[in-house]
Amino acid sequence: MNHWRISVLAALLASITAGAAAQIPKPATGNLTIAFAAEATMLDPAKSSAGVDQYFFGQIYEQLVRPDPSLKRVNWLAESWSVEDEGGKPVIDVHLRQGVKFHTGDTLTSDDFAFAYNRLRDNKVSKWSHLQASVEAFEIVDPYHFRIHFKQGDGSYVADNLQLWAMSKAYFDRVGDETFGNTPVGTGPWKFVSRTIKEDLKLEAFDDYWNPTQRPTVKNLTIKIIPEDLTRVAAFKTGAVDWIDSVPPSMVEEFRKMPGVTTASYVSPNNMYIAMDAIDDAVPMHDVRVRQAAAYAIDVDAIIKSVLFGQGERYAEVGKGEIGYDPDLKPYPYDPKKARALLAEAGYPRGFDIPCYNLTTQREPYQKEMGEAVFAYLSAAGIRCKVQGQEYGAWISFGRRDRPGHIDGFYSNMWGHGLPGDPGTPWAGHVHTYVPGAGWGITSVHSDPELDALIEQLKATMDLPERDALIRKIARIKHDRVAGGLTTYRPIVTFAWHDNVTFVGWPTPGFWRNLQQIGLKQ
Amino acid sequence: MSRFLLHRLLQGLVSIVGASIVIFLISRLSGDPVQILLPSDATPEMIAETRRTLGLDLPLWHQYVIFAWDALRGDFGRSYRWQMPALRLILDRLPATILLAVCGLIFSVAVAVPVGVLSAVRPGGWTDRVGRIFAMLGQAMPAFWVGLLLILLFAVQLNWLPAFGYGGVSHIIMPAIALGWYPVAAQTRIVRSAMRDVLDSDYIRLSRALGTPERWIVWKYALRNAAVPLLTMLGVYFAAMLGGAFVVETIFAWPGVGRTVVEAVFSRDFPVVQAGVLFTSILFVLSNLLVDLTYGIVDPRIRDDR
Repeated sequence: MNHWRISVLAALLASITAGAAAQIPKPATGNLTIAFAAEATMLDPAKSSAGVDQYFFGQIYEQLVRPDPSLKRVNWLAESWSVEDEGGKPVIDVHLRQGVKFHTGDTLTSDDFAFAYNRLRDNKVSKWSHLQASVEAFEIVDPYHFRIHFKQGDGSYVADNLQLWAMSKAYFDRVGDETFGNTPVGTGPWKFVSRTIKEDLKLEAFDDYWNPTQRPTVKNLTIKIIPEDLTRVAAFKTGAVDWIDSVPPSMVEEFRKMPGVTTASYVSPNNMYIAMDAIDDAVPMHDVRVRQAAAYAIDVDAIIKSVLFGQGERYAEVGKGEIGYDPDLKPYPYDPKKARALLAEAGYPRGFDIPCYNLTTQREPYQKEMGEAVFAYLSAAGIRCKVQGQEYGAWISFGRRDRPGHIDGFYSNMWGHGLPGDPGTPWAGHVHTYVPGAGWGITSVHSDPELDALIEQLKATMDLPERDALIRKIARIKHDRVAGGLTTYRPIVTFAWHDNVTFVGWPTPGFWRNLQQIGLKQ
Repeated sequence: MSRFLLHRLLQGLVSIVGASIVIFLISRLSGDPVQILLPSDATPEMIAETRRTLGLDLPLWHQYVIFAWDALRGDFGRSYRWQMPALRLILDRLPATILLAVCGLIFSVAVAVPVGVLSAVRPGGWTDRVGRIFAMLGQAMPAFWVGLLLILLFAVQLNWLPAFGYGGVSHIIMPAIALGWYPVAAQTRIVRSAMRDVLDSDYIRLSRALGTPERWIVWKYALRNAAVPLLTMLGVYFAAMLGGAFVVETIFAWPGVGRTVVEAVFSRDFPVVQAGVLFTSILFVLSNLLVDLTYGIVDPRIRDDR
């Protein structure tokens, strides 16, 4: 064989070998310590009571579908899925990915999803049973194929990553409820090692993880809980931890300029807004002109810049990148003259006094101060706020419609959704008219029959492009009528890590804290 | 002595029962935990079901009877949030808080006694002036600020001590100082004023006349008598530290019971609040009892009177 032929063959072989080597992941090595500001309580997806719980269990458990780092929806444990019609009722048909293993070595099958469905719908166990309320039956076709039959359309089921978590039935049968919750076993990239409440969570990279390319490259991970901002920053600066979440907004710029440090900022799925009573004839906000006046009266951009150090993103009804986002729908501009004119037109030339309830527990950075600033702008325009602070427990009870008493003014509020977010469920709660016992308008102080009909249509729509169009339509009407509150901003969260760390932020589960791809530089 | 002890134990028991009733009622007046436990889109039926499951639909007196009866058997219920026995949640964290409070108390006494004594020995002197400035600073600097300053200096700038966490001796130094800093001022004043009174008394003058070395007079004879008022306050300070450890625990990510209970208050996790407050009350009663017992050691006259 000629020399050049040997060289070409050798080069070809080398490239094939290199390609194959690239497919086989290097075993995870090394230790990494990071810090979160907040701590999950429950490690069991069914018993979880708050989004923060996903910070922990979201590293261990996985879903059928999820968004990738660019917020594009990708099939995950589902190899494929589709929404079908069966006798006028929708059915979600799912084919599972084969060869997926739980941390115990058990293989993931349809039985595990049937178990998860039954566990999630049981209201004695699950706090999320209402999310399974539209499901009529769960049918196992074969170990890797199942069908979810619905009584009627449920668009939020599709929008929220098919709602189900992969939970091991075999493991539950072996260990029982308590151990199942405290020593979680999933199919995720991280295996549970130990947890000390108020201190840390220890995880180990799962060697048999099904996804060879998108997985952690560090073997042992410790997540410390450091709630105090400055202590977390100090721990990072001293090198005690190599990655932190929730860099305080006032320090984001400093971190961005810090040598040897990389930062990433993400928009939170929490949507801040100012709710206002528009039902009661006696309150001025019943008049759309007063609601619009309120919208023109607040300089949200200035507040974001000065109070939040720029760490917030303004939005109009639906945030950028979310389902139904309409780039042509712009927030109300700051126009105090127009605000006063609208108030005068509505019969309030001298303005009026009104209670304004402000959440004082900081669910988001500087939330209390943001509320105070918003109410100060309203007062300056003639909507004279009598500000009353509310801590979280009082605030959450106050906002619900089944409480005694009455909401008689403005109050700072927020609504959350997944990533990418779909406002269907939140709007059903705070825009749709309150219907006792029917699940509609649980926190609503608004009533608009046209919007009600559209939101009900949205609930039943399981086709994602159709949902997108419908959300745009609702958003525009909602915006024009300032219905269901006045949308203000979405907080921006910043993470920082030392240059010895590699990190790609995955949006869910865990709201960008998912550590699907984290490691140490080799 | 035993009668006295029995009397104080009974008083302590009444205090604990009283505390349990007060905390039971106050926590329930603060709002409905079910609203916080469930997602915002939970239906009224789910809310009603959860309330029933947790026994919150029963009349208040009935809930208290169940709580008291179970508590007597060591069962404080399950945490609504953590879904684990509230007692375990508290007892797992109690040692960290007791360690912090004890170290904080040791720090404060270790600083307050020498500063107070030296201030009393030479009133108006430089030690007295420094002592007063020290006392003023102690009262003016809240624990969270002291904690952050310590972190900035000893962790970030000097890199001598860890910025957070629970572990070896190096981890306890800054939290103990931050917690013990505030009472130093008051303790210094107590020691100074008690020492001034004692140093002016007849038996001290007699000792001096007899030529007893001043060091003996101050540190052996005077301090022993001057310690009684400080001892009286130590029980109170210890209890205050147990209750006030929350701030320091948060700053230093210290896994103590204070942080757990305060978070439980905000989330209306009644079983954890009740267990936490009850155990803090027990510690309060025990620490005061211990103080009462030490009177007798310091001053035999008190022991004999009983």
